[in-house]
Amino acid sequence: MAFLKVQGLTKSFGGLMAIRDVDLELQQGQILGLIGPNGSGKTTLLNLITGFLKPNAGTVHFMGENITGLPRFKVSQRGIARTFQLTKAFLDFTALENVMVGRVYGQQPAKNLAQAAEESLEILDRVDLLDKAHVKARNLTLMQRKRLELARALATKPRLLLLDEFMSGLNPGETEDAMQLIRQIRDSQVTLIVVEHIVKAIVGLSDRVVVLNMGEKIAEGTPVQVCEDPHVIECYLGKAVCLK
Amino acid sequence: MSAKRITVLALVVAVVAVLAALPLFVKKDSTINLACLVLLYVALASSWNILGGYAGQTNLGHAAFFGLGTLVARFTWLGGWPLWAALLAGACVPVIFALIIGAPAFRLKGAYFAIGTLALAQVLYVTVANKWPLITSLPARYLATYRLMPRYYLFLAVAVFTVGVAYFLVKSRLGLGLMAVREEEDAAESLGVSGLRHKLLAFGVSAFLAGLAGGAFAFYHVGYYPQFPFSPAWTFDTMMAVYIGGTGTVVGPIIGAVFYVLVKELLALKVVEAHLIIFGILFILVVLFLPGGLLEAWSKIRSALGSRAKSRKAALPAG
Repeated sequence: MAFLKVQGLTKSFGGLMAIRDVDLELQQGQILGLIGPNGSGKTTLLNLITGFLKPNAGTVHFMGENITGLPRFKVSQRGIARTFQLTKAFLDFTALENVMVGRVYGQQPAKNLAQAAEESLEILDRVDLLDKAHVKARNLTLMQRKRLELARALATKPRLLLLDEFMSGLNPGETEDAMQLIRQIRDSQVTLIVVEHIVKAIVGLSDRVVVLNMGEKIAEGTPVQVCEDPHVIECYLGKAVCLK
Repeated sequence: MSAKRITVLALVVAVVAVLAALPLFVKKDSTINLACLVLLYVALASSWNILGGYAGQTNLGHAAFFGLGTLVARFTWLGGWPLWAALLAGACVPVIFALIIGAPAFRLKGAYFAIGTLALAQVLYVTVANKWPLITSLPARYLATYRLMPRYYLFLAVAVFTVGVAYFLVKSRLGLGLMAVREEEDAAESLGVSGLRHKLLAFGVSAFLAGLAGGAFAFYHVGYYPQFPFSPAWTFDTMMAVYIGGTGTVVGPIIGAVFYVLVKELLALKVVEAHLIIFGILFILVVLFLPGGLLEAWSKIRSALGSRAKSRKAALPAG
């Protein structure tokens, strides 16, 4: 049984087909890389899986259960967490309070707020934000906010975590750190879908890669297979990057 | 328990004790009446703040819930129900109303929600005025035994209860979810928080407390037109008190209500109708320059004084 199974998913906005008949299968413990040019439908696909958008057709099964069209907070309660491309921190909350929301409303919730705070501090430590625990989110830098969002998503103790361009805007050194962090998350029994523009990161991280273009899946396979796929090279990557 | 919490607790006990003892050394009815008004506004402001401040949903129809509370409590009480039952009914009916209109109203966001609640309150205002055009006065047998003290203590109890509910709600898991929805609903939902359920909860609690205040008003007032408590002025006075004190805090609405009612009484005596203009300007100034209200002003002053004290210390020669 597939851990996550997407079948024939379709979403249009007016006349624009944002996602057309996409199939996707994901095994537990894997990292799936999702790439594609701007406007190819990556974020839309994440929104469809997490209940932020309702599909026009198609189904999403998670751990054998149909979660198509479920309200987004219920999708979260099933164990699917996400981050946002444009960060959505609770700006007037401290970093600690941000994470506590996930700890209180997520899987195996904390018994009381004191326990939630304690566990949230551990999670902040994991993403290297412990020293910012009592700083308001509005006073964090963009990079810190991204890590805060990751911490908040982890605080719900998800089985599946969807990262939307978590590494965009990072310099090479930071990218290396972020990749390390994502591998650690995978090793803690969390399955991941990673949407990313940085091909090097996707190739380095993913067990499998899916390529979207104009809302359709044009290639799928191991990172090496995908990079050698003529369709992908033609529409998106460019030879030089692939063969490096 | 930390030292700060003990201080706060002692302060709360002291304030409530002074208020409870007030009638012992204040004998003038006009002063007690003013105190009743202050307590009523503390209750109204704190109850509005649960939805408006913590959940971030601007309700321009608070008077409707207050009004429903007065209407139900007044007629059931005068109809022979015991006072406690009338008060409870007056608090529960607004909750039902809030839950019925909440589900569709919360599909509206921001300004549209505000306008929707205002329209609804106006509809009720006009309807009540048409349905019950006559003044409701206490019958002679009630008037003969009318005493101010029980009214005062009822207002005190309602105000303390309302602030207490607000405090414990805010410190709870639900309070955290409520504020998360206010801050960023998408993110809150992505963490498993239902925006609609939390907003409905806040709306229900807010309506219950407003209805309870309405019941106290119905018990207190000798004679008034039934539509009077539905007047939008109740909503706007309440909101003014919350904004002046500081939204989204437990203490803000209390400070705001005390400040607003006392200054308004003073100004109404001195400059009569012009006090409306003064408060209108004050409201605009607060929203523009002091969105955190008097509480924000206080913390700004304190941090300014603190940093000055620090820099003075730093300027002193070492040793």
